[in-house]
Amino acid sequence: MSDDKSPDRKQVGSDLIIPVAGICYAIYYVYSVWEFPAEAQRSGFFLAGLLLTLCLLLFARIAVQMAQGRVDWEFTALLGPSEGRLRRLGFVALIAAYLLTVRTLGFTLTTFSFLFIGSMLAGLQSVRRAAVFAATAAIAGWLFFIVLLGTRFPLGPFEALVAQLVSLWK
Amino acid sequence: MNLEGLAELFLYSASMWWAIIPAVLIGILMGAIPGFAAHNTIIMLLPLTLAVDVDIALTFMVALYCASHLGGGIPAILLNIPGTGGAAATTLDGYPMSQQGKASKALALSFVASIMAGLITSAVTLFMLQYLSQVGFYIRSVEMVVVMLFGLALIAAIAAKDMIKGLIAGALGLMLGAMGADHIYATPRGTFGFLELFDGVPLVPALIGLFAISEALIMLESRTIAATASSRVMPTWVETLREILGAFKHWFLMVWASLLGLVIGVMPGAGASIAAFVAYQQARVFSKTPEKFGTGHEQGVVAPEAANNGVTTGTLVPLLAIGVPGGSTAAVMMVVLQFHGVPFGPRLFVQDPILAYGVIMSMFVAYVFMLVTLFPLTRYLSRITVVANYYMAPMIVAFTLVGAFVPRNFMADLTIAVAFGIIGYVARKTGYNVAAILIGVILGPLLERSFLLSMRISGGDPMVFFSSTIGNILWVLLAATLLATPSITLLRKLRRKGDIY
Repeated sequence: MSDDKSPDRKQVGSDLIIPVAGICYAIYYVYSVWEFPAEAQRSGFFLAGLLLTLCLLLFARIAVQMAQGRVDWEFTALLGPSEGRLRRLGFVALIAAYLLTVRTLGFTLTTFSFLFIGSMLAGLQSVRRAAVFAATAAIAGWLFFIVLLGTRFPLGPFEALVAQLVSLWK
Repeated sequence: MNLEGLAELFLYSASMWWAIIPAVLIGILMGAIPGFAAHNTIIMLLPLTLAVDVDIALTFMVALYCASHLGGGIPAILLNIPGTGGAAATTLDGYPMSQQGKASKALALSFVASIMAGLITSAVTLFMLQYLSQVGFYIRSVEMVVVMLFGLALIAAIAAKDMIKGLIAGALGLMLGAMGADHIYATPRGTFGFLELFDGVPLVPALIGLFAISEALIMLESRTIAATASSRVMPTWVETLREILGAFKHWFLMVWASLLGLVIGVMPGAGASIAAFVAYQQARVFSKTPEKFGTGHEQGVVAPEAANNGVTTGTLVPLLAIGVPGGSTAAVMMVVLQFHGVPFGPRLFVQDPILAYGVIMSMFVAYVFMLVTLFPLTRYLSRITVVANYYMAPMIVAFTLVGAFVPRNFMADLTIAVAFGIIGYVARKTGYNVAAILIGVILGPLLERSFLLSMRISGGDPMVFFSSTIGNILWVLLAATLLATPSITLLRKLRRKGDIY
């Protein structure tokens, strides 16, 4: 049985994601400038060539280490410790949900929902504390970003309600 | 300008305290929020700056600009998220210090280095303005290509534990930075057909994704930033004072790094991020304990913070002296000057010398005012590191996404930030330095522009890159940077084997 815990052995696998993705993008980039006049192709070829050369150097190094039997393949390091992994994946899904709903719900409601669910997913046990935290932060964020700084972040039902109340009061 | 005139100018600038104090507070706050960099904040406050007299507007903008660079170091130290690109190098040692429960010490080092650097460089600039402005004339497109490649190689060599991975990260950043319309025919390249990427990768969403979102995802793996055993991080007033005074023992490094930042800042386009990494490398080379860098070393916080604040003064020099803005904030200031009908370059010194020197003096005064913020910031901000991550991580994502949206008001920028967040997360988990990717993204378009310009001037002859003395010196330094680490490793191996002594 091989000595998996040996400090001399390198964990390889997930660290190939960045170079492989980089090479794929470089190929796509070169494809996108293929029809261009030579003058406009130069910088693209230069950068793609640079990235490709460096990635090939890394692959060559790994190949040598493999030949010497100093490499272990793994992909689990990417996902972090197994404890709470599902919650962390849920958090990523929540970010995706934020992107999908922010146009409809607007800043305050989306931020409230995100902070409420996000803090629970991140390990906060008390629902009441999560709600108080989410409400306080969302209102503070609304006052700071929308009212004070006037950013043009999408407005939703909450902002519409506040605007209506203000106009009634005036 | 003589000493009497400078004293008069100091008093005049100080009389605008009512504009400087709010600008300093806004600047520190905005600098600490990734995405709300000085130029974005100034753009948001543009109606205000256009409504007042030009000297008040400039004083306000300059104070805000300096304070935002000081503020950029705060999240870099406490949360591993640089508020500005210039603070990326601060994360290397600042964040490990926070993790060790030394957040207040790291903040004291950062604030003292920033303020001292600002005071030193603005004082030097007041006397040397006419000479410093000449530096910009010697840097042409050919030298800029080498400066940028040198900067990137330096970052890869310094920041990454594995040099080849650092270089891959930098090259990937350059590749992503070259996305968008090409500089000659304005035809889109590598944009996957998205119109929002036609102008290239937006920098703020890239910064927020690479640093803030990826960090938030990693934060979820632990309970707090500071280790539980070292979570007593709120120092007493006496301890705070001791930490602030203790920072002054690095005075020589502060002077050296700030002057380095000033000179690099004078070169248009080089910027705070390169200056900070160059200063970090210099500090490591001349340190008695270079092996401690990257593990929470005091010098690793002082050098980049002093350098990036030195740059703030430097970037204004080309604007004042030759009418070329040295950075994005200087470009916004140029718009305000233009609106008020103020001339640029040499004519400014002839027609309105008080205004020209007044800009630098305002900077000096702003840093003096910032001294009063030292105590409360150092003492109280360090508490952030013991706030539970189940509060911090969702809040970082929710609020920095607003920052990603602000510069262009495109909803697509939120998706771009999240995409860069995933790239950043994978990079962090697999040992690719995210700072190198970010600097690559920043330098990509600048490198491409200088590259194409040089090639056009030379009629397509690549030997043009070896045609200037400054450029050739930089090539040698670049080669030395790339060869230094493998050479040292080889020497150590040989020494261990007993082949050499």
